[in-house]
Amino acid sequence: MTTETLASLIHFLGILLLISSFWILTSSQIRTSIRAYAAHSFFLALITGVIAIANHIEHLLISAILTFGLKAIVIPHVFFRMIRRLGIRKEVESYVNIPFTLLLAVLLVFVSFYVTRDGSFLKPVAFGECIPLAIATVFFGMLMMTTRKKAISQILGLLLIENGLFLMAVTMTFGMPLLVEMGIFFDLLVAVMIMGVFIFKIRDAFESIDTDEMTGLKG
Amino acid sequence: MTIEKVLGTPLVFAFLCLIPCSKRMTRVIFTAGAILAALGAWSFVFGVSGSPRVFAFGGNLMMDSLSAVFVLLITGVGVLSSAYAGGYLFRDGETAIPSVKLRRYAFFFHLFLFTMLLTVFSNNLGIMWIAIEGTTLASAFLVNTDDKKSSIEAAWKYLIICSVGISLAFFGVILAYYSAVARTAVGESGLLLNWTFLLENARQLDPKIIQLAFIFVLVGYGTKAGLAPFHSWLPDAHSQAPAPVSALLSGVLLSCAVLGILRFHILTTAATGSNFSGTLLVVFGVFSVMIAAPFILEQKDYKRMLAYSSVEHMGLAAVGLGFGSVIGIYGALLHIVNHAFTKSLLFFTTGHILYLFQTKEISQVKGIFRRSPFLGAIFFAATLAIAGMPPFNIFVSEFLILSAGFQAKKFVTCGILLVLLSLVFIGFLKHSNQMTFGESEKVPVKPKSLVMNGVLLVGMVLILMMGFYIPGPLQHLLQEASRVAAGGASL
Repeated sequence: MTTETLASLIHFLGILLLISSFWILTSSQIRTSIRAYAAHSFFLALITGVIAIANHIEHLLISAILTFGLKAIVIPHVFFRMIRRLGIRKEVESYVNIPFTLLLAVLLVFVSFYVTRDGSFLKPVAFGECIPLAIATVFFGMLMMTTRKKAISQILGLLLIENGLFLMAVTMTFGMPLLVEMGIFFDLLVAVMIMGVFIFKIRDAFESIDTDEMTGLKG
Repeated sequence: MTIEKVLGTPLVFAFLCLIPCSKRMTRVIFTAGAILAALGAWSFVFGVSGSPRVFAFGGNLMMDSLSAVFVLLITGVGVLSSAYAGGYLFRDGETAIPSVKLRRYAFFFHLFLFTMLLTVFSNNLGIMWIAIEGTTLASAFLVNTDDKKSSIEAAWKYLIICSVGISLAFFGVILAYYSAVARTAVGESGLLLNWTFLLENARQLDPKIIQLAFIFVLVGYGTKAGLAPFHSWLPDAHSQAPAPVSALLSGVLLSCAVLGILRFHILTTAATGSNFSGTLLVVFGVFSVMIAAPFILEQKDYKRMLAYSSVEHMGLAAVGLGFGSVIGIYGALLHIVNHAFTKSLLFFTTGHILYLFQTKEISQVKGIFRRSPFLGAIFFAATLAIAGMPPFNIFVSEFLILSAGFQAKKFVTCGILLVLLSLVFIGFLKHSNQMTFGESEKVPVKPKSLVMNGVLLVGMVLILMMGFYIPGPLQHLLQEASRVAAGGASL
């Protein structure tokens, strides 16, 4: 594969990644958000895999496979089971409506590209155009965590931030050392499970999983 | 002893605690585990104190004098806390907690100790990040031991806020790794995240990137350390957790996060050759004290009052580290040690107070001394100690930190700190005076168990002793540690 086709392949996958992160933010149903997250993770795994094969980095290939298995299959599956058991039918509830969320998201993408424009002192080892995408993903995750009411959407936001950081690590340094990468995957899985347990506790105690009911502790 | 064994002990005992057996047996395993872990760790630390660094696990784990101080703290407070929890949570009567839940509590308690030990033993900055995230995950269930509406809220906020904070710190770790990858030959990629390796090659790292990394780490681990304005989870979690857990959270968990910041601070100072990170630490430290002081003065809940006092003391420690001189760093480390024991003692007394008065409201608690002279005396003395009154230990370390500031001619900073510290002092005196000596009818109460009172007594003796005399080996260790933190400058 020549460098040019490789670059345009990564470019293409990057666009798909960005589209899927918009999809997570703007879908009005939690089920769709989770599917979009699975798609996002799938494209992330593909980008990682392509970079790994093009540069002959074995440990990155392992992370790509793990990303695919864990984030595109296992975690969405855990989420779907959680939703089924919680019996959520209602759509996503947000403090900010969807058109405005979209506007904010576009702005954040502009900001991400602006702060990483040429002349920035960050010179990644692979495909610099992924850096603004990674930063945008982190921003999207934060936007999601601050504007959504449902506890489950906040977990999704956290996972989106994690995906962004993963992409950052992949493009800047070909990922972290394998040992660290493994530990992060383990942490992530445990975090999702523990937060899942807490969602059920919240549901039982507050009779809903809206976090704006949580106003008991102040001062 | 080796690092692996010290780390392994709490991990093994975590799973031993899960064995279904009688409540009494679980309690024995639970407390014995903490004691064994402490004995092992202490003999290890003082056994190798001659050599500066001990490596394990392919260089990914390391113990130098800096981590040794924190190992002593974690296991020391761990023993006190587990002994107290043995009486506090394993109680009988109508409020008894079911044994399945107790086993799970014991499991997470030891897991929490394990993750904290892993944090301080990490040489690999990536593993340190994983361990700090692990402390959040392991302690979330401990915060929610009561399973009430308010404790679920506190635990959820704790989980979410700290996870987001720590993910920012991960960005800092990526940047540090990147700065090493960009400057060194390929092939050593396993080494590149090691703190010792980065420190040795600090001059070759891009100072701008390391500065950026430090900012992210300060915000990220600062969230965990309870530095203002990222402290919002802290009063909730500390006030809702049961007393022995609050003691661990406040006494050692916050300090572990401070160690994470300190490692990056040492690196940044070595890479940039300037006091960039030190200045940031001083700014955030003073800001934390500033935020905490009014909340202590006007507090209505005594556990939240102690939580804000933790924000204040972590701020002071950050200021001491930021001043950069060996005296300042020595003072800050001593402050962390003193704070760990004083604050955990205070949180243990809140367990007694909650039992006696069944409320967390300051205004509802009056006349502890009349009801229980032993508890009243210890509570009052400990609040004086935490407020910085001589002859107690906190006074000594606060004095050292401030004198480092005066030596560095930071008169304005020190002036602001002195005003704020006296405000905190007034706040504590006001609240604890009313709580201890207020009017109250004498109600006959069943005294708490011997072990729990024993824990209070041990804590009291410790903080009094540390005010007059720091044991030789600890003194030596602290001096070595501050030399490491000051970048090899001689004392």
